Amino acid sequence: MKNLKVLWTTMTLQMKNSFVRPMFRFCLLANPLVNTILLYEMFINSGQINFINYVILGAGLMGIWSCICFSSAGDINRERWYGTLSIIYTAPADFRLVIIGKILGNTILSLITFAVSFAAARLFFKGNFYAPQAYQFLISFISMILSFAVIAIFLAYLLTLSRKTTLYMNLIEYPVILVCGFVFPVDILPNWVQKISFSLPPTWAVKLLRMSVAGEVEASIFLDTFYKLVFITGIYVIIVILLYKIINKQVRKLGTLEMQ
Amino acid sequence: MKRFINQAWLSFKIRYAAISFEEFLLLESLYPLITLAFYCILAAYSFNTNNLAKWVVGNSFLLCTNICIFALGSAFDEERYTGRIRSIIISPVSKLLIVLEKGFFPAIISVITVFFGFMIGSLIFNVDFTSINLWLFLFVIIVGMFSMTGFSLFLSSFGLITDSMHFILNLVANILIIFSGANFPITQLPQTLQVISKIIPLTRSIESANMLFGGYDTYKFVWLLLEEMLVGIIFYVISYFVIKIAEKTAKKNATLELF
Repeated sequence: MKNLKVLWTTMTLQMKNSFVRPMFRFCLLANPLVNTILLYEMFINSGQINFINYVILGAGLMGIWSCICFSSAGDINRERWYGTLSIIYTAPADFRLVIIGKILGNTILSLITFAVSFAAARLFFKGNFYAPQAYQFLISFISMILSFAVIAIFLAYLLTLSRKTTLYMNLIEYPVILVCGFVFPVDILPNWVQKISFSLPPTWAVKLLRMSVAGEVEASIFLDTFYKLVFITGIYVIIVILLYKIINKQVRKLGTLEMQ
Repeated sequence: MKRFINQAWLSFKIRYAAISFEEFLLLESLYPLITLAFYCILAAYSFNTNNLAKWVVGNSFLLCTNICIFALGSAFDEERYTGRIRSIIISPVSKLLIVLEKGFFPAIISVITVFFGFMIGSLIFNVDFTSINLWLFLFVIIVGMFSMTGFSLFLSSFGLITDSMHFILNLVANILIIFSGANFPITQLPQTLQVISKIIPLTRSIESANMLFGGYDTYKFVWLLLEEMLVGIIFYVISYFVIKIAEKTAKKNATLELF
C-alpha cells in the first residue's frame, strides 16, 4: 500500500512537472499534429487501403517516442540538475519505485499523442480509425505502453552514466523511429538494420499494433509476435536490474551522484 | 571585422566545447544523415518509387535546420541560461550584430552539411548527380542558407520575451518539413496553407535545386533564387526591428531572465 502511494504520488507529480515544460508540450501536442499532416500528405497517394490507420498510429507513436526521448530518458539527469537527485536517492522510498513512477506518469501522459493524432486526422481529413480486431488492438496497445515504459527506464538508467544526456537525447529520436518501423514496416529495411530492429522492444510492439489494425491476422502469428515482444522486453528488464546494481555501486564508490 | 570573427569563433566554440570531436561528427554528420535516410525511406514506401532524387535534395536542404534553427534561433535563450543576457542588453553593441556573430560559423557549417548530406544521400539512394552542375547546386545552397539565417535571426528575437523557445523552434522546424515541399508537392496542400510555403525560406531553393535534375527554364530558375534572396533580406530587416521591439518589451515586462 505504501509502495502504491509512492508510485501514485510520483506519477501525478511527474505529469504536472512534465506538462509545464515547453519541450514536453511540443512533443505531446504539436508533434503528433504536424506528423499527422505530414504522414497523411505522404500516404494519400500510396494506394494503401486504410492508410489513415497507419497515419494515426505512426504520428501517435512518433509523438510518444519523442516524449520518451525528451523527458523520460533524461529524468534522472533532470533531478540531478534540480538538485533533488541525492534526496530522492537516499529517501526511505525505493529509488527504483520513484523512477518507475516517473516513467509511468510520463508514458501515460504521452498517450495524449494518439488522441491528438486521431483528432487531427478526423478534423482535417475526415479520417477514421478502425481496428477490426478490437481485442488484439487492446492487447497490442497495453503491450506497447509497457514495452515503451521498459525501454524508457533502460534509457534513463543508461543516460545517467553520461554527463552528456542532452546530446544523446537528441541523437536517439530519429534512429529509433527509423529502425523500429514506426511509419513503415521494418521488412523494407536492409537485413543488417533489421537485426538491430529485432533487438528492440518497440519494433515488436509496433509490429503487433500494425497487425491489429491490418484486418484478418491469424491468431498464431499474432501470438508469436506477442511472445517475442514479451521475451525481448523481459531481457531489457533484466538489463535494467543489472544496470541499477552497477549504477548504485558506482555512485556510492565514486561519489558521482551529483556530478554534472 | 577582426572582432566580429573572434566573437563568432568564440560563440561557435562554446556550442561544441563540452563535446568531443567524435560526438561533434555524430551530431553534425551521422544524425542528420539518419534523419535524411528516414524521410527518403518513408518517401520510397509511401510514394512507391525508387527515384528518390527529389527527397534527397529536399531533405538535404532541411539538414540545415539542426544548426540554423536550433543554434541560431536559441541565441538569446542560451545567453539567458549562461547568465550573460543582462550584460548583453545593457552593452552599447548592436544586438543584431551579436546574433550575426553567432550565426556566422553555423551558416558555413550548414552549407557544408547540406552539400555533403546531398552527396552522401545521393550515393546511398542511387541518385545520379553527375549530370548536374555542382557549382550551381552549391550556389543554390548558399542562397538557401542566406535566407535561412535571416529567418533564424527573426526567430532568435523571441528568446528575449518568452521562455518557450524549445516549443517555438521545434514547431518551426516541423513546419519547414511540411511546408517547404521537401517531402510532398506543396500543391497538395489547401490554397490557404500554401501561403505558408511562400513566406518561409527554403521552398524556392529546394524547387530550384530540383530543377537542376531536368531541363529547366533559366528565367524561372533565376527568378526563384532572386525571390529566395528577397525572402532572406526581408527577414534580416524584420529581425532588426523585431529585436529592438523585443528588447524594449523584455525590459518593460522584466522577462529577460524569465525561466
